[in-house]
Amino acid sequence: MKREKKGFLKDYKSKDVLSFLTGEDVISPGTALCPGCTSELALRFALKIFGKNTCLFTAPSCGSLMTVGDGINASMKVPSALCLMTNVPSMMSGAKRYFNRLGKNINCVAFVGDGTTADVGFQPLSGAAERGEEIIYICNDNEGYMNTGIQRSGTTPLYAWTFTSPVGKGWMGKAKVSKNLPLIMLMHGIAYVATASMAFPKDFAEKVSKAKAVRGGMSYIHMINPCPTGWRSRPELSIELSRLLVETNYFPLWEAEGGRIRMTKAIETPKPIEAFTRLQGRFEHMDKIGLKKFQEEVDNRYEQLIHLSKFHKISQPEDHANEK
Amino acid sequence: MKKAEAVNGMKILTGNKAAAYGALLCRPDVISAYPVTPQTPAIEQLYDFSAQGLLDAELIDVEGETSAIGTLIGASAAGARTFTSTSGAGLAFMYDGYLFAAGCRLPIVMTIVNREQASPNIVATGQQDSILMKDQGWIQIYVENNQEILDTIIMAYRLAEDEEILLPVNVCYEGFYLSHMSQRVEVPRWKAVDDFLLPLKNMNREILSIDEPKAFSTYVGQPELYTEYRYKHHIAFERTKKKFDHIDAEFERQFGRKYGGQIEAYRIDDAEIVIVLMGSSAGTGKVVIDEKRAEGLKVGLVKIRLFRPFPWQRLAEVFKNKKAIGVIDRNVCQPWGCGHVHFECKAVLNNMRAQIPLVGIIAGLCGADITKNHISDLIRITCCASSGQDHAEVTWSDLQE
Repeated sequence: MKREKKGFLKDYKSKDVLSFLTGEDVISPGTALCPGCTSELALRFALKIFGKNTCLFTAPSCGSLMTVGDGINASMKVPSALCLMTNVPSMMSGAKRYFNRLGKNINCVAFVGDGTTADVGFQPLSGAAERGEEIIYICNDNEGYMNTGIQRSGTTPLYAWTFTSPVGKGWMGKAKVSKNLPLIMLMHGIAYVATASMAFPKDFAEKVSKAKAVRGGMSYIHMINPCPTGWRSRPELSIELSRLLVETNYFPLWEAEGGRIRMTKAIETPKPIEAFTRLQGRFEHMDKIGLKKFQEEVDNRYEQLIHLSKFHKISQPEDHANEK
Repeated sequence: MKKAEAVNGMKILTGNKAAAYGALLCRPDVISAYPVTPQTPAIEQLYDFSAQGLLDAELIDVEGETSAIGTLIGASAAGARTFTSTSGAGLAFMYDGYLFAAGCRLPIVMTIVNREQASPNIVATGQQDSILMKDQGWIQIYVENNQEILDTIIMAYRLAEDEEILLPVNVCYEGFYLSHMSQRVEVPRWKAVDDFLLPLKNMNREILSIDEPKAFSTYVGQPELYTEYRYKHHIAFERTKKKFDHIDAEFERQFGRKYGGQIEAYRIDDAEIVIVLMGSSAGTGKVVIDEKRAEGLKVGLVKIRLFRPFPWQRLAEVFKNKKAIGVIDRNVCQPWGCGHVHFECKAVLNNMRAQIPLVGIIAGLCGADITKNHISDLIRITCCASSGQDHAEVTWSDLQE
């Protein structure tokens, strides 16, 4: 039987990318976020690309401070739902399936934190990924439970100080490495996976445009947004830190369409991880041995990624839209 | 699609299948459920309906109950008609979403196939699972037999989606006793169900709307606003009682069957004592009442259908001038050592300022039978109480010692 080949991204229009400069800003001016928080920038950019035909889903987190407003005062010009931390992808699945049933093509976009994604809300995320729901999930990773006052999460890096990974007798910050969420999501065999940083806005815009174009599958964008409050860094350094994330290979920029990894920002000579850690109070206690171990972890992960990028396809996402 | 006529007629159905037929007939847009004993055959039946081409609904195969309720919250907020079902530990795993759905006033219909809660681990009936959720803002209806399961699901949609109510509804039936027991069930014509649900046709419940963007479930910093939400929920609960009676009457006009609305009163008019039951034991209860009546004992029975909100006004009408009240509970109100229905009846009598003795039996836990003997025992104790003889307020049957 001849099977028609259909890409997930057949609707992708590269001209959409530039709408991050020209699109309508759907968030009201002024938000309740801390100074130097790049997640506001990220959401404004993303929504300019998604446009008004978008339904936004957040969970109690930093992100929700700007999306749902307070009381009767909403701050968005698109519908937004404040979900539970434990049901963001499920609520999106239900809404998206019903929109599709009505023949409405509405972008269902999640903008939620790392705790919701990596920890308490991971089960529904994994379930929605396995089902191949046509949803767009942006993880606003600030490497900890920052909205609740800086506690460690599944994506807090090795040695980082938080109030629940303290520094002191028997403690050297977080004792475990972070979950590699973008790869975990890739292994689910979803349509589109990407990493992003606000120091590379065009790269981010391209990835958002691609996520928007995906039909019949799930897209997942993992972005690290520096948290001056929780990282104990200076607010004006947030973009610099966003750049160093990438330039140290701590958080390489890549994307995977239909299961194939492609590096989107080549780093010729990576900077040592110290260039990234020294700007943050949360790594202040790190000694030479700690730095060496951290560097090893960074190198190891990067090598792993490069190795995986050599596979033609490391997962076989199915076009779920054609199932029925 | 097969012809709709293929569905209706007299059938022999388990409670779970009857529930699946009930859901099918109401044409839900989105169904999402996670398997848990004893609910599973109901879900399997729905997938079978889908495979037969009878059921035109989105079936979302979730990875747990928290997502089952989550998907329905999303779908319902987008305006969909939704259905799910769960039991025991599954209901407990739904807890956060269960509260959320009630707070958002989303008209989700969920059957609870009653199962005891762990621990000790047990796969048997008992109403403890749904009873523990009684104060979370859902309407809860308990039913007696398989026909009533099917019919009540149809009524549940009329109630849930009514613009004066807009609350999620549980239809609760006992696991194994009803879920796995076959009875004669008349499946109504699809057209008749469509007609019955017609008043809901033009209601716009779309919250997640692109044309009118709104923030759904926002932060509410102001206590006044939060209190207002809660109060309006309470007012909707108050409206639910009469609305349910009204829906029952309309149901009779359409389908020729009636259940009494909030409560079913059986042979109570000249009764001196009344026993109160909830769930499948009411069927056994009616048989015993007939026998006792034949012996000349003036005894009647009340079956509680609407447990949340509690139909205290109608119960007060029934209890008025009675000499004693007896209750059998298939659940435990732990710190008081009585059953929950017993405890609620206490409040009713207090509201009435009536000095009517109230006695209770806890029976049928962990799938034990509630037999004619239990009900005879209850009537005997209630008679003792009515004549001022010595009696225990609560008796735990089926104890090991």
